[in-house]
Amino acid sequence: MLVDPSLSSINRSSGAGDPHRGGPSSVNVARNFAGANADCSALPAVRTVGLGKRYGDFEALADLDLTIPRGEVFGLLGPNGAGKTTLIRTLLGFIHRTSGHAEVMGIDPAIDSVAVRRQVSYLPGDARLPRHMRGHSVLKFFADIQPEGDLDHSLAIAERLELDLRRMVSFMSTGMRQKLAIAAVIGSRAPLLILDEPTANLDPTVRSRVLEMVMAAKNDGRTVIFSSHVLSEIEEVCDSVVLLRRGRLAHRQSLSDLKARHRIVARGSLGDANRATGSMIVPDSIAAFVPSVQCDEATGRVTIETSGDLAPVLPWLASLGLSEIRVEAFGLRAVYDAVHFDEVPAL
Amino acid sequence: MINRVLVRTYIGQAALLWSACALALFAFAWVRVWVSSLVDMGQFRTILEQFRDFERFAPIGFDALFTHTGRVGMTFDEPIVILCTVVWCIARGSDVVSGELGRGTLEMLLAQPISRTRLLLSHAFVAVSGLAFLTLSLWAGIAVGIARTTITETVPPPSFRLPFTAFEIPLTTGGPTQESFPMSSVVDPWVFGTGVFALFAFGFFILGLSTFFSSLDRYRWRTVGAVMTVYVLQLVIFGLGKAAERLNWLRGWSFFNCYRPQKQIAEITSGGMSAPWRLTGPDAESWFGPGVYPLMLIVGGILFYALAIAIFRRRDLPAPL
Repeated sequence: MLVDPSLSSINRSSGAGDPHRGGPSSVNVARNFAGANADCSALPAVRTVGLGKRYGDFEALADLDLTIPRGEVFGLLGPNGAGKTTLIRTLLGFIHRTSGHAEVMGIDPAIDSVAVRRQVSYLPGDARLPRHMRGHSVLKFFADIQPEGDLDHSLAIAERLELDLRRMVSFMSTGMRQKLAIAAVIGSRAPLLILDEPTANLDPTVRSRVLEMVMAAKNDGRTVIFSSHVLSEIEEVCDSVVLLRRGRLAHRQSLSDLKARHRIVARGSLGDANRATGSMIVPDSIAAFVPSVQCDEATGRVTIETSGDLAPVLPWLASLGLSEIRVEAFGLRAVYDAVHFDEVPAL
Repeated sequence: MINRVLVRTYIGQAALLWSACALALFAFAWVRVWVSSLVDMGQFRTILEQFRDFERFAPIGFDALFTHTGRVGMTFDEPIVILCTVVWCIARGSDVVSGELGRGTLEMLLAQPISRTRLLLSHAFVAVSGLAFLTLSLWAGIAVGIARTTITETVPPPSFRLPFTAFEIPLTTGGPTQESFPMSSVVDPWVFGTGVFALFAFGFFILGLSTFFSSLDRYRWRTVGAVMTVYVLQLVIFGLGKAAERLNWLRGWSFFNCYRPQKQIAEITSGGMSAPWRLTGPDAESWFGPGVYPLMLIVGGILFYALAIAIFRRRDLPAPL
């Protein structure tokens, strides 16, 4: 979890700094929050401190500290009801936070959500478009209304997605409507893209094209917040990912770190030297590369987790006398399962 | 204050309903004027006199209806006119928040850099302009009807009435003659401007009320139900206030009491073109002049709009279902 030290002085007691509760103090806190760095382009794309949203007794978001650097593709992951959409909708000013603070592109959405949305292009999880309009009119509408809108870019995306823009929205299939919404949203040149399950209802070919567009947006220097349940997509496009659980930030993971991790599963035994300690002894020279070793004597199954380059580990592995060795990439699934089942991932 | 892209979209959304209502109002007003010319004034008077006991239920005294202007003025209380106006106002007013929320389109719309106030005002601009043009299309229908209609009336032969008796002695041997003349020679269409304004004010109030309920809700069907409930309750209160003398005080609690187009038109006959716009009463007993009532409806509509903006700005928007 990344927390900007400059934010630590903010009063995080519930409601004290909530601009929506009014009062001069709340405005001052919000100004201090943004004023720490006058150059907005140097600020992270999104920054939250102790962000919370409560509906009666239900905490949809709680004490969320989050920083999303600019120029990243940032994944939001979590089971249904984890708070992903609530977080996005709070950042856009659709719902009002009950505690904490947030900034999007250096602007507090509780103070000026319109200015925030000027910098953001947002694709909702269930994008619904005006049914009385034709595809082309929808793209023109969004290009006209959004200052960063670019009709030509949207049309090019629509063509790439093989979308028939002469058709009325009401006569489009769910997938076609999703493609139209993607063309409208990704077509905008806004510096921050927020995509909530963008590939839902799409066929595999279009999915991969959408992921390519996300990467292209990143290459253009735009920031992308990518919320999805499809772990492989997050692994494919994201630089880092946070896992939310019951409204709280459960884990943050850099994908480059994760890609360097492997799980080696093999058949074997502890051996006499290791049996006394109940675990395998990892030489000090490679201890940093092997964070976890588990051995089930009953089944003869050995699980070794590695971190970083595999090359230094391989000679030691060969010396263990293991058989049926299988090397697996340590995917996001393992992290997700660990968080979901309330285990602390060994990262 | 308003967003031109949104206005264009809202016009596209509402065009079909507006066209249907405008056509209905225009055609109905025209036909209504023509039909009123078909019934002979004498016959009309005879028919109406039979219902003198129920005069208190009428929007205006029967005597004011024994003129062509009075009969054309009845158009403003015709159920079809009220229906078209109410349909437009409830359909558009209920759409702005709960309609968009129900369809799930508000999420994409508000993801754009538009403030909620601007969104609501853009919608209001289209709805109120549409209402204004609807009432103008009714006026146009009346004007065209007046210009195109010829009245044929039966003129009895000149006679002499014997004093202190009921006998009439004809002065000529001929029978009654029929006389035709254009309606425009006896009815001035400008007189109905005050009725058009009253209808606009009535519609504006319902538009504000519908927008207010829409800003609170997430289901359009519930918004429409809430507005209709208020409408029917107000109508019942107004009806009760008219039905019994001792319940007369109830009329003051209904907004229908402020919709008096025929009375305002009748004011012109007695007091000239400026009479219906007077804000003070002619004597100490009647405080309010006829011009106050449509203004009350306009002020009520503005208050509902202000409340709707305040609520919409503060509320959390539910995610699309």
